[in-house]
Amino acid sequence: MPVFDFFHWDKGRGYTLAETGAILQVTIGIPPALEQLCLRDSIPIPSPVSGYALIDTGASASAVHEQIFIDFGVQPIDHIAMSTPHTRDKFSFVYPAKIQFPGLNLSGDAMWPWMRVVGCELKWTTFDNKEIIMLVGRDVLKWFLMVYNGVHSDVTLTY
Amino acid sequence: MPLEKELALFESKKDELLKVHPGKFALMHEEEFVGAFDTAENAYEAGVLKFGKSPFLVKKISQEPEVYRNQALALGLMNARI
Repeated sequence: MPVFDFFHWDKGRGYTLAETGAILQVTIGIPPALEQLCLRDSIPIPSPVSGYALIDTGASASAVHEQIFIDFGVQPIDHIAMSTPHTRDKFSFVYPAKIQFPGLNLSGDAMWPWMRVVGCELKWTTFDNKEIIMLVGRDVLKWFLMVYNGVHSDVTLTY
Repeated sequence: MPLEKELALFESKKDELLKVHPGKFALMHEEEFVGAFDTAENAYEAGVLKFGKSPFLVKKISQEPEVYRNQALALGLMNARI
């Protein structure tokens, strides 16, 4: 059972997990089928975007900063209803994406070479300039055992 | 709005699709129902092969529509484009 440990610590501040939340590095790219299309048509493949993903147990599905897909030229493939006490009868687009977590070297490649994610305006930067571009929701977390160790500023993921 | 025609087509065919392809993913482009696929990934691959970078719909065929629930949205920590 592979175990992946994410220690949240900063040289100046010490433990940071309570401040930043549980974050891990993420790389977002266009889906493999679109890469093949670009190769076939000799179109440059957009470079993947790297940043950080915040683990969000309150989210039913994973979400990605929508502008990334707009910049990629990736079209949405679906609409999804947003349900919160303050958002009713509203929708957001669903996009296909290739998601890689460099810290989760699960197979040497990607665990999610193809994934449906919700497009949202969610980009922000932590105090130590880590750019959050994704929320990891329960659609991903359902595959893991997660330990949130607040005392030692540490998050452990295993599957 | 992207996918407007496809979403209207899906709604018009939903009852029929639920009888024949429950749980599968429908691939639709403009006013054409291309087919039903076991996974969203397979439907997407077929869509890219057939329609390239043009918009197309890949939607799960289910009675209850998919809903994205997020408490952060409720708290105003993030926003969705609507």
